[in-house]
Amino acid sequence: MSGEAIIEVQGLHRAFGRQPALAGLDLQVSRGEIFGVLGPDGAGKTTLMQCLAAILDPSEGACRVLGFDTVRQAAEVTSRIGYMSQGFTLYDRLSVDENLAFAAQIRGVPDSAFRDRRQRLLEMARLVHFGARRAGALSGGMRKKLSLCTNLIHEPPLLLLDELSLGVDPLSRRELWRMLRAFREQGTTVVLTTPYMDEAAYCDRLAFLHEGRLLAVDSPAGLRARAEGSVYRLRTAKTITTRERLDDAAEVIGVQWLPGQLVFQLAAGVPLPEPLRTALDGLGELQPVTAELEHAFVQLVGGGQERQGARQAAPVAKCTEQTAEAIAVTDLSVRFGDFTAVDRVSVSVAAGEVIGWLGPNGAGKTTLIRALCSLQRPSAGSARVAGQDIAHAPLALRQRIGYMSQRFSLYPDLTVAENLAFFAGAYGLRGEARRSAMAWAIEMTGLEGTESRWVGDLSGAQRQRLALACAVMHRPQVLFLDEPTSGVDPTSRQRFWELIQSLARGGMAVLVTTHYLEEASYCHRLGLMFQGRLIAIGTLAELQVEVGLAAGAEIEAIFMAYMARERSQPPGEAVA
Amino acid sequence: MNVRRVSAVVLKESREILRDPITVGVSLLMPLVMLFLFGYAISLDVRHAALGVWDGDATPASRELVEALTGNEYFRLTAHYGSLHDLEQSLQRSEADLVLVIPPGFAADLVRGARPEVQVLVDGTYSATALLVSGFARAIIAGYRQSGRPQLLHLETRVWYNPSLNSANYVVPGLYAVILLAFPPLLTALGIVREKETGTIQSIFASPLTAAEFITGKLVPYSLIAFLQMVMVIAVGYAWFGVPFEGSLPFLLAAGLIYVLCTVGIGLLVSTVTRTQLVAMLLALIVTLMPSFLFSGLLFPIFTMPELLQLYTNVFPGRYFVDISRGVALKGAGLEILGFEVALLALYTLAVFLLAVWRLKKKVA
Amino acid sequence: MRLASLLVKELTQFLRDRVILLLILWLYTVEVVLCAYALGLDLRHLPLAVLDQDRTPMSRALVDGLTRGGAFDLVGHPADMRRAEEWLLQGRARAVLVIPPRFMQSLLRADAPDLQVLLDGSNANTAATARNYILQALQHLQSETGAGPPVEALVRVWYNPDLTNTRFIVLSMIALAALMVGVIHPAASIVREKEVGTIEQLRVTPIRTAELFLAKTLPTLAIGVLSVFPSLLIVWWFGVPLRGSLALFLLLTGLFLLSAIGIGVLIAAVCRTLQQALLLAFFGLFPIMFLSGTLAPIASMPGFLQTLSLGSPLRYYMDVILGIFLKGVGIEVLWPQALALAGIGALFFGLAALVFHRQQP
Repeated sequence: MSGEAIIEVQGLHRAFGRQPALAGLDLQVSRGEIFGVLGPDGAGKTTLMQCLAAILDPSEGACRVLGFDTVRQAAEVTSRIGYMSQGFTLYDRLSVDENLAFAAQIRGVPDSAFRDRRQRLLEMARLVHFGARRAGALSGGMRKKLSLCTNLIHEPPLLLLDELSLGVDPLSRRELWRMLRAFREQGTTVVLTTPYMDEAAYCDRLAFLHEGRLLAVDSPAGLRARAEGSVYRLRTAKTITTRERLDDAAEVIGVQWLPGQLVFQLAAGVPLPEPLRTALDGLGELQPVTAELEHAFVQLVGGGQERQGARQAAPVAKCTEQTAEAIAVTDLSVRFGDFTAVDRVSVSVAAGEVIGWLGPNGAGKTTLIRALCSLQRPSAGSARVAGQDIAHAPLALRQRIGYMSQRFSLYPDLTVAENLAFFAGAYGLRGEARRSAMAWAIEMTGLEGTESRWVGDLSGAQRQRLALACAVMHRPQVLFLDEPTSGVDPTSRQRFWELIQSLARGGMAVLVTTHYLEEASYCHRLGLMFQGRLIAIGTLAELQVEVGLAAGAEIEAIFMAYMARERSQPPGEAVA
Repeated sequence: MNVRRVSAVVLKESREILRDPITVGVSLLMPLVMLFLFGYAISLDVRHAALGVWDGDATPASRELVEALTGNEYFRLTAHYGSLHDLEQSLQRSEADLVLVIPPGFAADLVRGARPEVQVLVDGTYSATALLVSGFARAIIAGYRQSGRPQLLHLETRVWYNPSLNSANYVVPGLYAVILLAFPPLLTALGIVREKETGTIQSIFASPLTAAEFITGKLVPYSLIAFLQMVMVIAVGYAWFGVPFEGSLPFLLAAGLIYVLCTVGIGLLVSTVTRTQLVAMLLALIVTLMPSFLFSGLLFPIFTMPELLQLYTNVFPGRYFVDISRGVALKGAGLEILGFEVALLALYTLAVFLLAVWRLKKKVA
Repeated sequence: MRLASLLVKELTQFLRDRVILLLILWLYTVEVVLCAYALGLDLRHLPLAVLDQDRTPMSRALVDGLTRGGAFDLVGHPADMRRAEEWLLQGRARAVLVIPPRFMQSLLRADAPDLQVLLDGSNANTAATARNYILQALQHLQSETGAGPPVEALVRVWYNPDLTNTRFIVLSMIALAALMVGVIHPAASIVREKEVGTIEQLRVTPIRTAELFLAKTLPTLAIGVLSVFPSLLIVWWFGVPLRGSLALFLLLTGLFLLSAIGIGVLIAAVCRTLQQALLLAFFGLFPIMFLSGTLAPIASMPGFLQTLSLGSPLRYYMDVILGIFLKGVGIEVLWPQALALAGIGALFFGLAALVFHRQQP
């Protein structure tokens, strides 16, 4: 860590009213580093970035950026850095060129330099041919790239990027990182935040942020090393028994319930205790596995309280009726004018199956789900969900399905109990049936004690579980989940997936979309969507083989391979 | 202040505005709609008020009295009542605005010089017109059979500045002020708060652009739109409604420019204290538009209000511009007469700006 | 069960929504009070300048007689005609009374002196009223000296004897408040769900479109009718009588609200954000307000606007509210209004139900 300190943070505190957002941070970033700040929603990532950018003053402590104090010399800082906030921060009605010109002019880039830099940046971002297009008409990945360009036009020594890859497809993400590395070669320092573990692995050094506190700062390899030797996998068919045994062991701080196997994690430095080894003997094949960043995070957070909550075995939910083929889609298409959002998709999902749906923003995942929930009329093709035809029996259909949207649509001005009571009533549950359904839902999702709290006051993870609870009280046959884990911390995500698994065991078919590639392994099968088409479907192993990659290949690589294959095929326009 | 940075903001803002057809459309259409509504609908002129008559005398003299009333455009005869009950019904059903009750023996008393008394029953529900209507009735009755009789004194009335007493001439110049209080603050406030909501303002904060430069850059395009609105409204007022223009147009435009900057500045100020477009809109409408519509002297004369409220009206810049525009349009007044109002307006504008710049810190919280 | 759950939820949310509650409270109280005190069209304190070229007891008596009523405020005695004209120009005086020299002499000699009144016509209404007041005052003078007009006119004003504008303003503000609440509340409620995303969640449940529609409209109806009671307090404060039947008023208010709610739902159908909805509501309500006789009587409007106003539910509601409170009439007089309100209400409400239904996939 030699080299000049570009950023020095000492004792940084920031509170909003009585809510502390950052509590006593100390860190340093050296020149030429790509420094990542990793953490779930609400960890304080954005607050930290805003303090570094000198657009937010700390309540206590100090930040020095490029040698200037961010409070007293804010203007010096803001005139030198590049800052990209969450979202896109572009002027949608202005074209690519106009956005760049505006950025250049307010940063005092002379006209002569502007022309060259513009050319270079657009080439790097593969946006050269889109100069005249309105920013609002670009895809998510392209907008991020343009946003990055507007922050590089003045060639700042420091780049602050908040949630660079949120919602961006893998290809665009690669291109963004290529640009970052190119600038790093020239001596630019990059500080970025991300909730994605796989992206965090690309950074030189990482800081784990959780509830405003810095858990650790180290290189990715260093962090992984901390959890090395603590993670084991047990391949088994007796998942229930295994889980019970694991729940009884106090040393286990995290459990991941994947199809056909359980991956569990022990507390730091604790060897596998004999009682546990004995308990697991005979249940299946046990072996140690390499630790991932996620495990390092769980270890640092402690994982304690969340595990406590999940200690009661989640009661298995039996569905009201069952149809063997829970979802049967045949050549379904949805068109808006001359834009095809869903293009001849066919898939069959069995009861009790968890199928993961991957794809970049705009691929058509959400439109497909909405069509299957009868929220969107299909333009062609047909589908039967829970035994009901989506086009002809929408009301019967709705009684049998559950849906959780990306926004966790709950009523923020009602309490937890009121939300549950309302949704139970909406599904026709009354009296005793309603009371017992609500009680079951609360117990299953571990929300005891929160009944009279405002939904607006709950944490992201709690709201997520509440939204799930509201969607399953009526024991549907099919559950649709649209990005249910966005922004939630790893431990809560693990716990959420446990819930999914237990619901699936009760016979519920679950279709989940996600951007967290590491969650692909929780699913029985995966479907990949791109530009409205289903370009791949099968188990992880099947997909690897089909596209010719070695076993154990990263899901991202698999995805990229499929997309490349799509690109080389004639039909459809290629989008940059 | 760096001119290049300011002009970058001006250029960007102008492009954004022009490419939002809804905003452009509303900005140009709504003032015209308001102008027409106000110009035509707000009139307290009394014409053809419904007159009912209960003639208990039925003599040529009584008929002559009735004709004196109906012979001009203020009243038209709707009914002769057979009974008092019919008369009451008519007033209750709002079929008559006023009723003339002529007692029996009217003509006889007249001849004897005994000053007969007739009753005029007025429906007081709409007090404004009731006032006018009863006034006209009284005046006409007083003038009945007056010609040739010796007068105590002669009264000559001359009406200045709006001899035809046309409502539109009174309302439309006042509108110049109110319309400019409707849209520019709203548009400007939304223009800035939108940047707060989408997050683009964070990029602005984390850049060399200063608060003053940002505000100036925002100000120029919105002021131009507001100025265009004003010119359009003045032109339409003159050409369509025939509102006179006694004074100097350049003077009005110059004062108008100051006023435009003032209203835009108010919008800027509102935007510095709000985070969401919703609150900005509510503030702009409820706190600025509605009260100024009511308290700037547009329709309701300020001098009739209680003292405290008169002081309150001084807060609204619209009040000063109403005086200025009416003064120029109807009285032909110029700087010598209206200098005080103009100076006040300029000071108000300056204060609003300084406040806005002071409040806009380049910090997100 | 579904509908019951929806209604419970809506009511709970309404009671917790501080912004809307405050808005409703404001509209029904502060706004009414402010307007009632401020918006007088009564002639008071009209600035009058007197150029008294006579300065005799009789001329002073004349001026006293004029200013005693409170209609005119004496602002001063300009030195000469030129100064008087300047005052008019400046707006320092709105009317100038010119009493000629030897006024008293001429009066005593029965020589009919010439009085002059200069009026600032820029406010046509006050000018006309001022002129009438002066004429009236002078006629009083004449009748006192026995040389009065042959016919004495005794004016009696029904329903509003002191001819203040206050009663009218209070009642029309209450009518306006009902309109605004009726339009804004369902619009805000529907658009809020769109913004938060819960409307999607609702569509996925077995809740029927009709149930959702009722859940969004019935609470507003209840709230609107119940709001009549607090506004009765305001009415009592300003001394506005309630001469007619309260029950009839509540019924007709309900009919009126049907139109308002219909408009509110239609607005929500085309807007995606609360801001758009409020903007549209405010600027859409403007013309309705104008064309309904709340600010100026319909009879004074040009023909085509009068015809247009026949479509405004507020116009009929104004007749209802004024009729029931000030005139004490009942259904035998107000049946045309009731019919019109029912008809227009059915139209708007029905249209809204149709559009709402169409929007569901």
